[in-house]
Amino acid sequence: MLTLAILIPLLASLVLAFVPLGEVASRWTATGAAALSLVALVIVWAGGGDGFRAVAEVPWIPTLGIAWRVGVDGMSLALALMSALIFVAATAWPLKLHDARAYYAWMAFLAGVSIGLFVTLDLIVFYVFFDLSLVGMYFLIGRWGHGDAQHAALKFFVYTLAGSLLILIGIIVLALNMPTLTFDMRAMIDSPPLAAAGMVPGLVFLAFVIGFGIKTPVFPVHTWLPPAHVNAPGPASAILAGVLLKMGTYGLIRIPLQMMPDTFARWALPLAIVGVISILWGSIVAFAQDNLKRRIAYTSVNHMGYTVLGIAVAGSALGSETARQLAMTGAVVEMIAHGLITGALFLIAGAVWQRTGDYHLPNFGGLAGPAPRLTGAATLAAFASLGLPGLAGFVAELHIFLGAFGVYPWLAAIGLLGILITAALFLRMLRQMFFGDLPKERAGFTDLDRTETALLAGVLILVVLIGIWPTWLLSLIDAASLIPTPGAGG
Amino acid sequence: MIWALAYVPVLAGLAIWAIGGTRARLATLGAGAAAATLGLALFSGDRTGRFVWSELLVLQAALPPLAHAAALLVPAILLPITLYAASHEDGRGLPRLIGLMLVFTGGMELVIVAADLVTLLIGWEIVGACSWALIGHKWRSQAPGLSASFAFVLTRAGDLGLFIALMATVTATGSASYGALGTLDGWPLSLAAYGLLLAAVSKAGQVPFAPWLFRAMDGPTSVSALLHSATMVAAGAYILARLHPQLSAAPGFGPAAMVIGLATAILGGVVALRQTHAKKLLAGSTSAQTGLMIATIGAGYPGVAVLHLIVHAASKGALFCAAGVAHRVTDTFDLRRMGLARALPVTTALTVIAALSLAAVPPLSGGWSKEEVVKALEHAGPIWAAAIIVAGGLSAAYATRFAIAAFGPGEDRDSTVKRGELAGLALLSGAVLALSALWWPPVHDVVAARIGADLPEGSRLGLLASLAAVAFGILAGLRAARSDTEAPAMEWLGLPALYEHGLIRPFHALAIMAARADDRVIDLIPRGAATVAIFLADGLSRADDDTLDGLAPGAAGAAMSTGGQIWRGAVGTAVRATSGLAALGAGLGERLSDLIPNGSGRIAGMAGADLRRLQTGLAHHYYSILVAGFALAVGLLIFGG
Repeated sequence: MLTLAILIPLLASLVLAFVPLGEVASRWTATGAAALSLVALVIVWAGGGDGFRAVAEVPWIPTLGIAWRVGVDGMSLALALMSALIFVAATAWPLKLHDARAYYAWMAFLAGVSIGLFVTLDLIVFYVFFDLSLVGMYFLIGRWGHGDAQHAALKFFVYTLAGSLLILIGIIVLALNMPTLTFDMRAMIDSPPLAAAGMVPGLVFLAFVIGFGIKTPVFPVHTWLPPAHVNAPGPASAILAGVLLKMGTYGLIRIPLQMMPDTFARWALPLAIVGVISILWGSIVAFAQDNLKRRIAYTSVNHMGYTVLGIAVAGSALGSETARQLAMTGAVVEMIAHGLITGALFLIAGAVWQRTGDYHLPNFGGLAGPAPRLTGAATLAAFASLGLPGLAGFVAELHIFLGAFGVYPWLAAIGLLGILITAALFLRMLRQMFFGDLPKERAGFTDLDRTETALLAGVLILVVLIGIWPTWLLSLIDAASLIPTPGAGG
Repeated sequence: MIWALAYVPVLAGLAIWAIGGTRARLATLGAGAAAATLGLALFSGDRTGRFVWSELLVLQAALPPLAHAAALLVPAILLPITLYAASHEDGRGLPRLIGLMLVFTGGMELVIVAADLVTLLIGWEIVGACSWALIGHKWRSQAPGLSASFAFVLTRAGDLGLFIALMATVTATGSASYGALGTLDGWPLSLAAYGLLLAAVSKAGQVPFAPWLFRAMDGPTSVSALLHSATMVAAGAYILARLHPQLSAAPGFGPAAMVIGLATAILGGVVALRQTHAKKLLAGSTSAQTGLMIATIGAGYPGVAVLHLIVHAASKGALFCAAGVAHRVTDTFDLRRMGLARALPVTTALTVIAALSLAAVPPLSGGWSKEEVVKALEHAGPIWAAAIIVAGGLSAAYATRFAIAAFGPGEDRDSTVKRGELAGLALLSGAVLALSALWWPPVHDVVAARIGADLPEGSRLGLLASLAAVAFGILAGLRAARSDTEAPAMEWLGLPALYEHGLIRPFHALAIMAARADDRVIDLIPRGAATVAIFLADGLSRADDDTLDGLAPGAAGAAMSTGGQIWRGAVGTAVRATSGLAALGAGLGERLSDLIPNGSGRIAGMAGADLRRLQTGLAHHYYSILVAGFALAVGLLIFGG
């Protein structure tokens, strides 16, 4: 079933590449493929179970211990579901395009590899998907972006590729240190290699942190993100922020935290500090941005900072078990919440670009008059992003801070300033966009059309649902099972 | 059932916003929803609720007597204000206004029924967000949007205290319930107590957070009426009263609350007395009156504080409604240009009742609750009592000044008060009168017992001093109303300017600097890495060239030993050796090249692995290589054979 969820979009991508379909047919092919993937994942979810479920394994290169292994636990299933949903919304999002068929082919391709990354249980396959996602996004930004798209796409590609090479080295060292050579994630989680203290585990950990840190991104390796977002088409930005960034934090949990828990615990404090710096730096820099998309992009650095803080606390092996579990819950919910919320915000930014070709905030104002639906969606998404209770972001941030306070109280207290600054910057954005006088050149601004409204509503309803009644998501994630027992591998 | 108290008004509010309609319909629907909430509150006493929100956090609700009183107060105040708003406010956006006021009430009810800190935090921030939307209601102008952001960010700064309290409680006990809060001691208790105090003080518009209340005046008058009486500001005072049993054990908590409360009561009184803007006068007064409540809680009488909260809510709601009417009639909030006693006699009468209650004149309800406050602070000590008597004098002064300036004698204008406005005002002033029954001992004993309030005993001296201060205050207020005072140069004693220059602008500068640093310094990491990579690549290629060219004749012999390098070295050597020859024999080369097919020459060259040099197009090099190759081949044939 999980293999199907990967293959359907990839097949759709092939079809789109070779069969001359019209623009509308292409869009619906790609959307339909993403929707079918979503259905497949929902079926897996409905099947229930604990630990890794829906497991399938086909040998590939047995001598090297590489195989096509798929299977999900609560975290990866939740992430895959969220990704599929964002892909449905982003693909169905109405857009005026040149070479539409190729665009939707890349979209479907990206959907396949992104879902694949979350559901695979083989590190080599994971790495391959990790790199293929770069390729897909590179073409989406480079070919269909605007402004200095080529340069932004190249910077994104090379920067993240550099990180992924470090990850590859780390993966190989991990595999070589297994009793028998294997790239099976389950085996590595059950008996973590490189448990002893020393240089090598430290370096491998560092390689993973830098590699995943670039993808996440955390301070100070985040500077590829703003240009990539600014120049990407709106739906591609939604995917970049909603899905691709999660690969970094997912990898951080799956590999360093679960496969080398002892090393992780030794280095948890520096990682937590990096998280807090990202929280503050991301929000402060976002506040000063006059470009709508750059502002949202920097809040991603801020939100991913919360996630990294939560992950660091969960893997710290300090404090009470409850605190670590709270932090892990928060970190995973933050990934889902940020995917939905920032995905929605970038779709909104895309709608604004379609109508005006402009992102410069001071050029806007008063849009609440001609576009009440857009205003409503943007207000809801902005408040969700600044962590208002009753919406998804709050659930995540509350859990992260509660957990972090039990382990690193000072860091939690400093990180709290982040929620104050994000409040200021989002309210400023809403005011600049929607309130005050409507500039003359915006007179003909049209509200969201029916498709756009429906897609945004679909995403935002989930944001509200998670905010009010998060239990269903939390029991799916089952954060307690993600945290390795300290010393298990020692 | 108990949760319904929170979500029924929220859902009703959203529905009214969606449905919309005429003023009459909005008034009916809004008042109906408020009445329904009131009914729910009546029948929710002593109920509890639990909601499993996450595996580790359970939301809890309870309605002990003190909370029950507050839960009744909120919809009871909302009802007249809804009637007022439906007739007074601008028709454009009215459904949104009425709807959001109901959502606001729902958030406030959640704060009231909360029995754990997570539920409290949820309600608390929803109230904050609603206040943002309500203050910024008139979004077409610039100022309300700015003020709404200012108010939200400043109160959220206080909310961080609530986060701290919650984090400390959960870390220390593993639970967020009020019960767990009561078991704290040591530093977690201090963190929780002072965190909550910070949160309460910011919501309640105390020093130094008071300026947001002034900025909130950019919202519609009905919003001010609600926000200053029964929600938002009231939330700050309420939560300290509700949690007083749990928090009072923290070292220094009582004195800290009294210092903040009394400082705000006195400073707010001064600010209100000097104001010429009707709503800002009332806003300063709200800070001051809430300060009295917080001081009373600090003195150990949370029940008295809640009674004062109830009494104050009725009179302050009425006064804001009156200010709104005055504004509609005169088109200004400037107190010096009102004087509506002749024009609006009924409104004037209703306003005077509320103003005298605010001034704490017996036998009105405000007089009773203020005397209880004075008695409570007498128990804390003579200095506290003296401070509160001064604060009481100030409230008498500004209340009098408001009533006389706005509704004193003036010209006879042709103006009427709308039915809805009058209904709202009459209900609120009627409530002030009805509450005056509290002076009668059987009534106040029953009420105090019902809500679990301790009524303090006071001294005769305290009562006399307090009444004397009120009398002086009224005289001063009369005088101030007649003299044509100038508006103060600095709002709220310069606090807003301090925020502007000490916090907001430096933060903007910091953010801009950080953004620049991000583009220019942090981005050097990838650029630096790229430069290093280019440098390395360049260096390598140069090294490659050098090695190749540097294969001097002497080194050639050594290089001969390995297979791959033989050919390359040979070529290099040959190139050098024949360079002179080549210069001479270019003509010869030309002829030779006719003999050797061009293609084979290229293949030979590629085998020599010096493609780049071949492609430079230097004919003599090219030919000289051919010559050398030919010579070498001949040589090998001769010597090898």
